[in-house]
Amino acid sequence: MRLSALRILLLLIPGLFLAACGSGESNVVQGNRAGILHFGNGTEPQGLDPHVVTGIPEMNIVNALFEGLAVKNPYTLEPEPGVAQSWDISADGLTITFHLNPEAKWSNGDPITAEDFVWSWRRALNPAMGNQYAYMLYPLVNAEAFATGQLDDFADVGVAALDEHTLQVRLNAPTPYFIQLMDHHSTFPVHRPTIEKHGKSTDRFTRWTRVENIVGNGAFRLKDWQLNRRLVVEKSDTYWDSDRVQLNGIVYYPTENTSSEERMFRVGQLHYTQTIPLDKIPVYRAKEDSPYVNAPYIGTYYYLLNINEPPLNDVRVRQALAMTVDRDRLTSTVLHGSNVPAYSITPPGTLGYQPPTLFGYDVEKARQLLAEAGYPNGEGWPGLELTYNTSEAHLKIAVALQQMWKDALNIDVTLANQEWKVYLDSVDQMNFQMARRGWIGDYVDPNNFLDLFLCGGGNNSTGFCDPVFDDMIQQQAPRAKTREERYAIFDAAETRLMEQMPIIPIYTYTSNHLIHPSVQGVPSNLMDSVNFRYVSLENELGVIE
Amino acid sequence: MTTPVIANIIEAEQGTSLWQDAWLRLSRNRLALFGLAVLVLFILIATLTPWIAPYSYTQHNLDLGATPPSAAHWLGTDIFGRDMLTQIMYGGRISLAVGFIATAVALLIGITWGAIAGYAGGRVDAVMMRMVDIIYALPFMIFIVLLMVVFGRNMLLLFLAIGAVEWLTMARIMRSQVQSLRQQEFVEAAISLGLSPATIVRRHLIPNALGPIIVYTTLTIPSVMLLEAFLSFLGLGVQPPQTSWGLLISFGAESMEEYPWLLLYPGIAMTLTLFSLNFLGDGLRDALDVRGAKD
Repeated sequence: MRLSALRILLLLIPGLFLAACGSGESNVVQGNRAGILHFGNGTEPQGLDPHVVTGIPEMNIVNALFEGLAVKNPYTLEPEPGVAQSWDISADGLTITFHLNPEAKWSNGDPITAEDFVWSWRRALNPAMGNQYAYMLYPLVNAEAFATGQLDDFADVGVAALDEHTLQVRLNAPTPYFIQLMDHHSTFPVHRPTIEKHGKSTDRFTRWTRVENIVGNGAFRLKDWQLNRRLVVEKSDTYWDSDRVQLNGIVYYPTENTSSEERMFRVGQLHYTQTIPLDKIPVYRAKEDSPYVNAPYIGTYYYLLNINEPPLNDVRVRQALAMTVDRDRLTSTVLHGSNVPAYSITPPGTLGYQPPTLFGYDVEKARQLLAEAGYPNGEGWPGLELTYNTSEAHLKIAVALQQMWKDALNIDVTLANQEWKVYLDSVDQMNFQMARRGWIGDYVDPNNFLDLFLCGGGNNSTGFCDPVFDDMIQQQAPRAKTREERYAIFDAAETRLMEQMPIIPIYTYTSNHLIHPSVQGVPSNLMDSVNFRYVSLENELGVIE
Repeated sequence: MTTPVIANIIEAEQGTSLWQDAWLRLSRNRLALFGLAVLVLFILIATLTPWIAPYSYTQHNLDLGATPPSAAHWLGTDIFGRDMLTQIMYGGRISLAVGFIATAVALLIGITWGAIAGYAGGRVDAVMMRMVDIIYALPFMIFIVLLMVVFGRNMLLLFLAIGAVEWLTMARIMRSQVQSLRQQEFVEAAISLGLSPATIVRRHLIPNALGPIIVYTTLTIPSVMLLEAFLSFLGLGVQPPQTSWGLLISFGAESMEEYPWLLLYPGIAMTLTLFSLNFLGDGLRDALDVRGAKD
């Protein structure tokens, strides 16, 4: 007993160093030779079912294992053929006909048919599925009614298989971004016989996504999955475009701790990191030929406010909190200038849209608002808990904000960190007062940020509900004739939203990665989207460490 | 020539109780004395921290950021521009408080439980000790996480939870001590004098078993502090802005290459305390081990 804990610690320290410089050849060198990409993926995936998962780490894997009707070109973000080799859009923009590639196959060799999509979308929209991204398909006629249980007959939903290789969709209104949605995992096809073999079609987390069971249609297939260690995919030979796929496989690592991720990168264990520890940014910035890549990213980092919970049920409290976050100071110091202060949910300049700015850093006004709400100088403050998922960066931001609120408003905010899955659960069930959240655009359009806050939306998680706002987003905006008109409606809707302040925007994301010079075909783009079909590894560069 | 010697012996027989004897032996053990001195110093600093800390522990200075040790900040500042010396002093308060309070909880439960089980014997003893075995078998982490889920995060709860796990060994030691003491004549004498079992346990058994208990206590404190550090490292322990040495070390470890002082100084404080406690524990064991001394 005596000294044992200490002894273990002492033994561990040299052990760590040994592990770091162990086996002579690094993953990167081996990977470059064998065509295997070692990919830091942030966290252990919640699952692999395209109609269940919600996070970026899951998306990185699901996009390799499955493919939708169209995919994104990583350089231009324009849609290009996926399972559909072409599509026709009717003159009124209400009907789209997809022509499926006859070569497209499931990883077990079955051909992919239009009927597969009809069945998959029915599953994705089924209320019993609890798919948080069901609304991605709401542009379809009657899709929302079906997903909310008002309509039982899926035949009335605007999707039909005209023949084996022709899929026709009917839309409520012209939807400029609909083709972009086809690269989102909630619209991906899933293999019916496999799912039905392992449970009801709407069961979440059944055994069908296990290594031995899963059938996908992507450029890669699942080879190995060791919980909390790694997930391995290998090139799929049944993929229709497999000639163009240059990687032989990808190894995903759950790199929850950003410091260890950076260390893994430095010793050549990773080609690509999900992010970079904040304190390392100046170090990598100073390097020549730095592997650090920092680029604009369509995403907003914000705090969700549960507006049903006191003291946040008072809009003045919410405004006071939002106004006392010194975003300029936060981004320039703690975040080392890697991100841009945000005062709206929509990132500025999303396809030319400039969001309204309703407030700024204003301590005086915030104090006044808090006093009006009944907490002059923080007196009688009942306390507030901030929930965030365990991560160094989230913690630092939370600590900095905690103190800003203490200094400006004399109120106490307590911090509670949770593991990713627990955190997702707390947020979904609105079991929090204030929670950290990031929203990354699923397609490039302001609509993608604003429709989060529809009444009862799967990712709303604030209790915000405004029928006028819903009408603007769902009815008026899709019917707008011009882009200017559409953006004016979005502007008005966002103003309504931000007046109620169900969220505190903090910063607009930039993507921050360390990318080994041998990795080709991973251009920076606004979606931070990696299309693994384009990725290749330059062997000769592998020796540069 | 002979008289003073005899006088000395008489004096020795009159004067040195077990405790004085122990203290004499302890004071010859330099490492143990050093440990004691460091501990007294740290406890003193921790007690006086609110008055002597150079800065406020919540005071941020984001524009300053992390700076190496300087005249204004002897141990540097962290990334929020907080003074490290202040952080370590306040962290010490929590870490030492966890160490002492959780150990006190463990002592209280462990001694009572062990003494009752040992004195009562028979079926009572069997039931009580099997309960100890069962709790021993519970995975500690799951226990703590469960407590956190049910009762929320709470510092006092953290102390209690750690204490509630650490008392088990204490109970076993106490029980075996009581069992052997129970057979001795002075206990039989006490029984025949009609003293109640409670009085016998309190007046005769516990004081006589104190030696091993004290030693084990000094060894429990460091392990409790390490536990707190471990829990805080995982985010289950103390939450910011409160801090502990464990939390400071966990923060520091993340940026040890850029800002080594963030890891180094809390590490030194923690290590010094742990070594001191271990030296003192070793010293006390030697000092209180009567048989060892007579041999």
